[in-house]
Amino acid sequence: MSKVVFSLWQNELIDNRDKSETECKESAFKFPVNFGDNATKAFIGWEGVAIFDKDIDVVKLSCEYAAQYQVYSEACGRCAPGRWGGRILYDLLDKIARGEGELSDIEHLKEVSQTMKETSKCEIGKSVPKPLLTLIEYFQNDFLDLIYNKKRSKYYDNSDVKYISKVTAPCMDACPAHVDIPAYIEGVKDLLLDDSLKATRKTMPLAHTCGRVCPHPCENECRRANVDEPISIMELKRIGADYEDSHGLNWFHPTTPKPKNGKKVCIIGAGPAGLTAAYYLALEGVHCDVYEELPVLGGEVAVGVPEYRMPIGKYNQDIELVRSLGVNFITNFRVKPDDMIKFEQDYDAVVVCTGTRLSKKVRCKNERTEIKGYWPAIPFLDQINLNIKYNLAEPVDLTGKTVVCVGGGFTSMDVVRCSIRANAKRVVMLYRRDEKTIIKNTSYEEYHEAIEEGVEFIFQSAIEEIFTDENDRLTKLRINMYEEQADPNGGRPQLVKVEGADFDLECDYLVPAVSQDADLSLLPKECEIDMTSWGTIKTDGTTYMTNKKGIFAAGDCEYGPMTIVNAVGQAKRAASCIVRYLESGEAKRNDDEIMEDSLRRLRVYNKKEKVSGWLKGLKREVSEKLDVESRKYSQEEVNFGFTQEQALYEASRCMRCYYIAMVAV
Amino acid sequence: MTTFYINGQKVTANKNDTILSVARREGFYIPTLCYLTKVKPISSCRLCVVEVEGQNGFILSCQTPPVEGINVITDSQKLFTHRQNIMKMYDVNHPLECGVCDKSGNCDLQNKTLDFEVSSQEFSAKEQKRVIENWGFIKYDESLCILCERCVHVCNEVVGDNALKIGVGGYKSRIVRVEDSSCSECGECMAVCPVGALTTKDFQYKTNAWELQKIPATCAHCSSGCQIFYEVKHVGSCEKSDKKVYRVTNDVDINSLCGAGRFAYDFNNSSVKDKDKFEKAIEAFHVADTIVFNSYITNEEALILQRLKEKFGYKLINSSALKYQKFLQEFSKSAGSMLYNGTIEDIKSADFAIVLGSKISSDNPIVKYALNTAQKNRRAEICYLHPIQDEDIKQIVTQHIKYEVGSEEGVVALLLQLFLNQENLEDSLKSYIDELDIGYLSAESNIGEEELSKLKAKSIRKQNFVLVIGEDLITHKRAENIAKLIGLFQKYTQFKVIIIPTQTNTLGVSLICDLDEKKGNYSIGYNVKGNFTLSCFDGDLSMPSLNQQEGTFTTIDKRVVPTNVAISYNGYCLNDIANAIGLNKKYTIDYTIELPHEKGFIKKSFDELSNFYNLNGDDNRGYALENKVVNSIVAVESVEDIGEFNGTVVYRCESVNQFNYNTFVSKNLANDSFLIGSNQFAIAAKIGDGDEVEFSIGENLIKKVFKIDKKLKGTIAMNPSFDRLLSDDWVSSSYRYQKVTIKRVEG
Repeated sequence: MSKVVFSLWQNELIDNRDKSETECKESAFKFPVNFGDNATKAFIGWEGVAIFDKDIDVVKLSCEYAAQYQVYSEACGRCAPGRWGGRILYDLLDKIARGEGELSDIEHLKEVSQTMKETSKCEIGKSVPKPLLTLIEYFQNDFLDLIYNKKRSKYYDNSDVKYISKVTAPCMDACPAHVDIPAYIEGVKDLLLDDSLKATRKTMPLAHTCGRVCPHPCENECRRANVDEPISIMELKRIGADYEDSHGLNWFHPTTPKPKNGKKVCIIGAGPAGLTAAYYLALEGVHCDVYEELPVLGGEVAVGVPEYRMPIGKYNQDIELVRSLGVNFITNFRVKPDDMIKFEQDYDAVVVCTGTRLSKKVRCKNERTEIKGYWPAIPFLDQINLNIKYNLAEPVDLTGKTVVCVGGGFTSMDVVRCSIRANAKRVVMLYRRDEKTIIKNTSYEEYHEAIEEGVEFIFQSAIEEIFTDENDRLTKLRINMYEEQADPNGGRPQLVKVEGADFDLECDYLVPAVSQDADLSLLPKECEIDMTSWGTIKTDGTTYMTNKKGIFAAGDCEYGPMTIVNAVGQAKRAASCIVRYLESGEAKRNDDEIMEDSLRRLRVYNKKEKVSGWLKGLKREVSEKLDVESRKYSQEEVNFGFTQEQALYEASRCMRCYYIAMVAV
Repeated sequence: MTTFYINGQKVTANKNDTILSVARREGFYIPTLCYLTKVKPISSCRLCVVEVEGQNGFILSCQTPPVEGINVITDSQKLFTHRQNIMKMYDVNHPLECGVCDKSGNCDLQNKTLDFEVSSQEFSAKEQKRVIENWGFIKYDESLCILCERCVHVCNEVVGDNALKIGVGGYKSRIVRVEDSSCSECGECMAVCPVGALTTKDFQYKTNAWELQKIPATCAHCSSGCQIFYEVKHVGSCEKSDKKVYRVTNDVDINSLCGAGRFAYDFNNSSVKDKDKFEKAIEAFHVADTIVFNSYITNEEALILQRLKEKFGYKLINSSALKYQKFLQEFSKSAGSMLYNGTIEDIKSADFAIVLGSKISSDNPIVKYALNTAQKNRRAEICYLHPIQDEDIKQIVTQHIKYEVGSEEGVVALLLQLFLNQENLEDSLKSYIDELDIGYLSAESNIGEEELSKLKAKSIRKQNFVLVIGEDLITHKRAENIAKLIGLFQKYTQFKVIIIPTQTNTLGVSLICDLDEKKGNYSIGYNVKGNFTLSCFDGDLSMPSLNQQEGTFTTIDKRVVPTNVAISYNGYCLNDIANAIGLNKKYTIDYTIELPHEKGFIKKSFDELSNFYNLNGDDNRGYALENKVVNSIVAVESVEDIGEFNGTVVYRCESVNQFNYNTFVSKNLANDSFLIGSNQFAIAAKIGDGDEVEFSIGENLIKKVFKIDKKLKGTIAMNPSFDRLLSDDWVSSSYRYQKVTIKRVEG
């Protein structure tokens, strides 16, 4: 809820201008009423406008909005209506604001707006006229006053009010790393694949990786879904990266790397978060030393995500990109509290990116880690991946064995599908909830591919007890079955045990893959770094600095076990704030980042919006997969990715839903 | 197949069709400004929007594939108003200089402004400073640019230079030339510009478009034989004054040209009939026992020479064509067809291409374009096997395999072993392949087995394979066995093979002429040095240039395509001489119908040959040669030991946009003929940038200025030969690599 003077957003009109305090209504939208520490005077964007301060100069506001579109929008100038129309809008509004306007200018404004709305290339050109027309309609007197009396608008020459704008899009807003998705898709469509890759790398250095194994939350907020089906956003990401790779071209960086500035940052952990932090710090000229406990780089994506999903050769390209900026990696180095104390003194800042690498227990009777055959997911996948990708561990051979995995997330899927490839006789996945939920938690593809490969899923089940033989070797599991009962209060359905449905499951291995904890034994006690209630490092959640100045944390060790893209997003933000911290001693978000967070609060995607101007019924493209028989026995990448034809088609479905939002502070 | 309706009429769409492509095919007009058939939809102009019954809003027809059953409306009052509004926008601040603009009369902006009845301007915007830039030979006038982006798309999707970008910035958006790009100055950007923003210095302010006469012709510079129009006009105001070629244009929607084709049009010869010289020529023909010539001639001229041989016993010497002829013959024997089976279209639609033994960026730009198209549109694997890495095609090539100079035969054997499907082979061939000493070949050619297995791995799941063979192989001393091995590719693998004809009409000459190995005592040279020389430049008797003749060429696509007279020639031509000494045909083109049928030529007279592409891009130029079946005999020899090729080596290789004397004389192209080498070469040869150097190839001393190219690596220098107006026959037929000792010329 937001207190407003006036607002028209989507279909909600609130007009409190002539109302007494008690009659005033609040808007249901979470507008950015504050901007950092300051109160916002007005907010204007693609769906309308919200005014929080009566004193706002609306003509100047509309003029500035047109100017922001015209001057700052990096996205446009690539279609006739946007290019010329935007300029004309601004010129006309400025003319009125200067006190030189005529009545006919309003008519021209409307006419140009109409053309822009109907035919601009991207949504930014289509949506900019909307709030302007709203202001002209609801604040008509303000405009007419200037025109009739030939006077300048109230604050035309006053520079106290700051106008801050940001270009966004529903998908960009939904992406934890805020990747400029329309730009990289446009690069594919235009076959300017270097541009595509540079657009991705503005906020996402792991283009190969997140072009393959991202759970793509962006696709849940893709506006194309309002027409037919969402764009296959993730798969289009790797096109640019593969181009760079296959031609052996020099690295395409989003900006020219700055020369070294003498600052030094220590990063602990070379997983997605550590790599991301290192990349963006190095781009800014900061020297980075990255300490990694494992003998290999890449963190969980290297030793957790299997080769058939994420070929290490491709991941190494992402890692080499980071290394190319002079980032120094130190492997086989487990950081201890003493080291931390030293790092704090030796470096200008420290970023902890150690992830969550302790498998949680399944919590059943007789669960002891020393049982032979009890093999938690993290060490299980470590061994498989260190063997297959690096030949640094003994191979895992499960011939003739039965493997039971308890899980329901991506890690458990990796466990069962790796077990199939390790030639297990039988592979069973136990999951507490139903099929629908497992698909929601992972992906449709992941679940169906596992079934095709022969994994058995037992839903709504849990282990009651583990049985072992005289050598403490696992023999069987007692399984309870559950059913879901709707929660009368509308919450998540309750799981209720089904009496008499218990059964025993003989097996050789039990692999718990039910989430992980962070191992934070590296933090010295005397540092007194605050923790969250779920055992991760506590930060302010916006700059990712801990309560200890100069110590930052990003990725799973901060958030808890989450996605790669989440780690990337946090680390990117942390890097940006660290650069400011190194300059000023204060970790602060910049205006753009404050806007980013404000817009996420408001939400850019509107599921109910009726979209026109796009032909309905163009099917989402699906890439070809390796056939089941070949993939069951090999580590070859399952997903072939899009062919060029498929990629071009899919890219042409993208509607470029850029929007521009602006606040007056 | 999708069935839908356009304005109520039932139509069908194929895979990859869009609403616009179907509409065009079916004859429905949808206006466009930025759309260009040969590249992907650009979608910047928004004129092509249509309505779809029952759906809200306008749909962009250029990029939208149709959906089953929809009814598309291509024109309505609403659409007209909308399109009119767009044109109003385009016209804002567009300079009113149509009176002097080169594009006037031929301008899409002008046409659409009139079509959509924009007669006045209701709004304006503050103008900003717009600059004029010189991009080499091309001029970019930002204020005339409507930012349709066609130029950027062709540079990237067709040419493969990626030299242009959109400098985005709202109203300030403009086209930017990328610094340090490999712009080959082909002029494609200018050719596709719908307005007057891109022009050449040569053409600017010289004439109005509507005064030019378009002569349909075929480019004379290389074997691609691209379709062109020579646009000509009288130089003076009176109709009797001399004509001049003002420019070359082409069907830009479908077709592309290289810089030579587009700019080297000024190579015509002006001469009048000099009876004395003609008499001397006839005398010389009576004395001569040999005719030396090259393949920058038409099929008809080649047939005249062949007839002269048949009637008077002249030896026909054209060593370059002879090498090609032998190569093709040996190839046919193992391939089982007279000609190779691939075409430029096959390259474009390939997803796996190997280029072997050609510096493709200058040897044949159209093949380079086709490879680029395959890479961009199909993400084809493009493997470039050559001793010299070519930085300029890095964006096209996905794997460069470097081999040792001289080891070409071994390289072909390695590839054969890699790609030949062993299962259906005859035993002899199987054992031939089995007995290949891969270790030795790999060591001697310096191609790692890893590189080969990487190449093989890339071919998995690919469907359209092409193998492009260049002159390095044709001029190799083991060319005949190499040709046989290549023939096996065509016969036993999925590869389609293309053997690039080295000169414009090498394929035609090699099919028409019965060529000889050795010269006699007295030779007539035709554009080649002889005892008596006929030449379009400064021979003993002046001859017409290729843009002054009618006739046909046989192209790389194995098509016989017609060319016409751009500028008439007032002197004597080969047919006049032939008639004077005993043949009898009124016009050179009377020979067209008589081109040898047994070689695949069709009995068609010159006037029966058309020269155009239709709206869908279908080739209606001349006819395709019939590829006759020949008995296939597998008789490959074992690979000869590979010799060493150390020290400083020069490579006969023309610079980009230069092919021969015809392009050399053009004042529109850069024509410096330097010896170009790497830093490493300079050190090895103990010479420096700018030094005048000399070296011998055979008995010939060559003098050149040496230049260092920082992008080059290795100890092979490029030695162009296009600057020789009248060269010896051997120049263009020797092995392209020569070991030389380079000396600095003091002083």
